Amino acid sequence: MKELAFIIEDDKDLSYIFASALEQANYEVEAILDGLAAKKRLEETTPHMVILDMHLPSISGADLLTQIRKDARFTDTSVIIITADARMGEAFTDAADFVLVKPIAFTQLRDLAARLHKA
Amino acid sequence: MWKSILQVSSTDPDNTRRRRLLNILLVGIFVSAIVGLLIAGYGYIAKAGEPSDIFLLSIICLAFLVGAAIIHLVNRHYVKIASYLFILLLVVAYIFSDTPFQISDGRSVFFFSIPIVIASLLIHPLASFILSAIGCVIITWAASTINSQPDFVVMIGFFMLALISWLSSRSLDQALKELRATNTSLDRLVQERTRDLANALARERVESGRSKAILESIADGVIVFDLHGIANIANPASERLLELSVKQIINTSIDKLSQNKALDAQNQGILADLLSNPNEQRTSYRIQWGKRTLSVTSAQVTDTEGNDIGTVAVFRDYTHEAEVEKMKSTFLAIVSHELRTPLNAILGYAEMIKEEVYGPVTEKQSRASERIMTNSRRLLDIVSDLLDQAQMEAGKLTFQIRSFRPEELLEAVHGVVDKFAAEKGLALTSELDPNLPDTLNGDIVRLQQVLVNLISNAIKYTDQGSIHARLYRSDTRHWSIEVLDTGEGIPEENLSQIFEAFRQVDSSATRKHGGFGLGLTIVKQLAELMGGEIKVSSKVGVGSAFTVILPITHTRNKS
Repeated sequence: MKELAFIIEDDKDLSYIFASALEQANYEVEAILDGLAAKKRLEETTPHMVILDMHLPSISGADLLTQIRKDARFTDTSVIIITADARMGEAFTDAADFVLVKPIAFTQLRDLAARLHKA
Repeated sequence: MWKSILQVSSTDPDNTRRRRLLNILLVGIFVSAIVGLLIAGYGYIAKAGEPSDIFLLSIICLAFLVGAAIIHLVNRHYVKIASYLFILLLVVAYIFSDTPFQISDGRSVFFFSIPIVIASLLIHPLASFILSAIGCVIITWAASTINSQPDFVVMIGFFMLALISWLSSRSLDQALKELRATNTSLDRLVQERTRDLANALARERVESGRSKAILESIADGVIVFDLHGIANIANPASERLLELSVKQIINTSIDKLSQNKALDAQNQGILADLLSNPNEQRTSYRIQWGKRTLSVTSAQVTDTEGNDIGTVAVFRDYTHEAEVEKMKSTFLAIVSHELRTPLNAILGYAEMIKEEVYGPVTEKQSRASERIMTNSRRLLDIVSDLLDQAQMEAGKLTFQIRSFRPEELLEAVHGVVDKFAAEKGLALTSELDPNLPDTLNGDIVRLQQVLVNLISNAIKYTDQGSIHARLYRSDTRHWSIEVLDTGEGIPEENLSQIFEAFRQVDSSATRKHGGFGLGLTIVKQLAELMGGEIKVSSKVGVGSAFTVILPITHTRNKS
């Protein structure tokens, strides 16, 4: 069974590109376009990887990140932060596993995700 | 009345002095005549003495009385005529007061010295000689009536007396004249001084009035503190900006003003520091005073001799500008995000085509995808540069100072620029000076930007050869970033312009090398904001060297 990855990103095009990259890296992808929906899904499911945009409607990426880091269920979950602001990214280097600053290349995400499979 | 009659003022003009002197003499005559009349009256009642003598005495005394009264009246308006009349009265009285024998040679011969002396005082110093001559004529005439020789010794005596009177009267006149001259010059001096003083006072009043008018009409709040840090001047604008009345501000200390509850703890510290140390050279600080944002500057006040006499603080309302800046910054953040997201999508799709996510692509199609990607990245870089530039101009760029290892910086930079150098077939090398501290303080993201911009610029202008980046310790307190290239070089006359925004040495270079020419401007501004400076040396056809010198200890963040 493929490992599950959440893509929490409100831009449909980017969400599609990221999903394609993760699918190529052999992940089962669930795209979530809204912070509130993401919060709900995270309560129900424990994905192996979360691609998290910091700039989200209803609930901010930062709040979701805090929620994930508080919960022991997500100890094995890799969190990749996506932001347009390098400054903002700096602030989350400790909490997130990786911080990617937009623009994010398709190959860059695909190769990174491929390396993050459980051994 | 007596005072006005008797007083002889030394400063009066001659006529007044003579009039007063004559009055004194007239009073003397008047009193003597009254006494004479009393004696005559006693003689008549007591039947003492000859009746003819008593009668003569009464007549003479009455004549004196009347004469003195008339002369006094004349003296009110014509002092010269009154003086002549008085002398005439004395001479006539003398002639009729005694027998010719007594006049020419006897007991009353020297009585004539009285009109001689008085004439020199009353009429003119030289008049004493005329009176002496008249005296001589009188005693000669008296002698002739009794067939006797006039007494020549007495005549000589008269002239001697005239000489003495003339001399003393003249010296008195001169002394008085000099005294008056002294008084006049003293008066003038006092007048001049008074006028000067009045002028100075008026000037000062005008000047302080002008300063006051300026202070009252300017929009900036001005508060002046004395040497002890107590406010002694506050203008109406300060009242409006600080929402305190001038009365509340005056006599307040710097400490008390800085602890106002309209300020939070951090702003209280900033204000107290700013007002207590006006000597330090620095730009204005912004503080949040209640609802207002104020820009505060302070300066030492010195008098004309350079002595420290206090501190002046100027408060400028920055509320509107701060709001605009905040909006601008928000706008920039939105633009930055909104531009990057679609550009990222363009990049992503182009890459997916190239990576054959949608099926096999031909060589041509793959190259087209690559062109889309390269141009999208260029567009992104330009947008980033413009946003950085705009932020720096707005003074909004912030630095996140932390310690980092120099290796970390070089690694990150290589990750970005290696592929650009490789694309152009240039050798890119870097070097770390062993003397550099193991860790440095600074904003690593911004330092990375400095290095990437310098190296990208070097790559842009170098067609063949190499680019070498070096981090080294320049002295005990500074470290430097140096980028050397073997590019086309910059003509010396253009060196001063290369850091100006939107300028490339040759406008045709824009077409050849692309870009806006903002890279170096940003490097220079970043270097300066980090408390450093940038230097450039270049030789056309040989290459260029850019050096950014930075302090090893981090600097305080400016507002």
